[in-house]
Amino acid sequence: MGDAPLDRAAISTLVRDQLAEILELSPGDIAEDVSFSELGADSLALIELVEALEESLSTSAVGFHIDDEDLEDLTSVRDAVNYVAEKLQVV
Amino acid sequence: MTLPIAVDAMGGDFAPEEIVAGAKRAVDELGLKVILVGVPELLGDPLGLEVVPCSEVIAMDEDPGASVRRKKDSSLVRAAELVRDQKASAMVSAGNTGATMAAALLRMGRLPGVQRPCIATPIPNPGRTPMVLVDAGANAECTPEMLAQFASMASTYVGALYHVESPTVGLLSIGEESGKGTPLVKAAHQLLSELGSINFVGNVEGRDLVPSPVDVVVTDGFTGNVALKTLEGALKFVFTTVLSVIGTDDATKAAGDVLLEYLLPVARQMRPESQGGALLLGVRGICVISHGTSNSTAIKNAIGVAAEADQARLVEKLGMAVRPDQVA
Repeated sequence: MGDAPLDRAAISTLVRDQLAEILELSPGDIAEDVSFSELGADSLALIELVEALEESLSTSAVGFHIDDEDLEDLTSVRDAVNYVAEKLQVV
Repeated sequence: MTLPIAVDAMGGDFAPEEIVAGAKRAVDELGLKVILVGVPELLGDPLGLEVVPCSEVIAMDEDPGASVRRKKDSSLVRAAELVRDQKASAMVSAGNTGATMAAALLRMGRLPGVQRPCIATPIPNPGRTPMVLVDAGANAECTPEMLAQFASMASTYVGALYHVESPTVGLLSIGEESGKGTPLVKAAHQLLSELGSINFVGNVEGRDLVPSPVDVVVTDGFTGNVALKTLEGALKFVFTTVLSVIGTDDATKAAGDVLLEYLLPVARQMRPESQGGALLLGVRGICVISHGTSNSTAIKNAIGVAAEADQARLVEKLGMAVRPDQVA
């Protein structure tokens, strides 16, 4: 993620980039308002995303962790972006 | 120096005793290097094998993804990490299949270009090299592109391990005609026909699993798993029935004495334990998934499959098959 301060746009880019790599899609094909099921992302792909986000954000946000209990509430790209933004207290 | 094969000593209905015994047999009978991954207090006698200790075990009924995330010090996760960290050449587990896949995927990572890893199960094919059924249960729902990729990876597997030149590939359907099947099957048929990299011969049906006229049968994971379990049940029924009839009176006993000499070798070949296990294709490492009821013979053979896959540089070849411009 580099040293640039995180804002919501950067988080959105990160989530879409990671998801694109997992699903073998182009990031440009992943809109925020699309659900994971529409993208073909199953529960295992979601966990891949979570682990990738935790690793990516581990340097800029030490100890960043996504609680397993919250995973079932993340059903879309927007849910994931909002969740990470809230966790990082990014406006 | 050859790396050892990491064996999940805690997974399976007969773990750890049968798993440890199978690992020991792989060392003694096949000359392979093996390390066990297990909870020392639960492992019992490791029979002189090196043990990589862990503190947790993923149970057979636990949610695959959640358990891998939650139990970071489980035998399955540690075994996958040994492969990732190049401290083991492969991993073998008879434990929770979904968790094994999740551990391999999350720790080893997927090969570039692979949409979804798949489970490739060898099915004995009397008089021929085994037929490989793919996907045998990893992906319940698939796209035509995924099926095409499964076919490509399975073809590579058959070529690398069984030395079959240009393996024939059949698409499992409800009729030989290209217009038969679900929308997925019809679309996959079109795609497979256009793939120049595999030897696609058309549709095959359920009766073509054993014996099989092709080297690879490709289908979605739901259908593949149903087909596999149906086959296992049917074969078990046939052999059990034959054995129950033989010996019921003097005539059947006499007949049995003659027939068993010919039937028993076939029966042994058809038992799942003779093949050892299924390979998870599409991850950056070798992962053999053995049946949950694996005994020491099955584990020994599963470790043998892992060694063969390593010697054949299967992962590298799979990487080239799905993305020729990159390697694993």
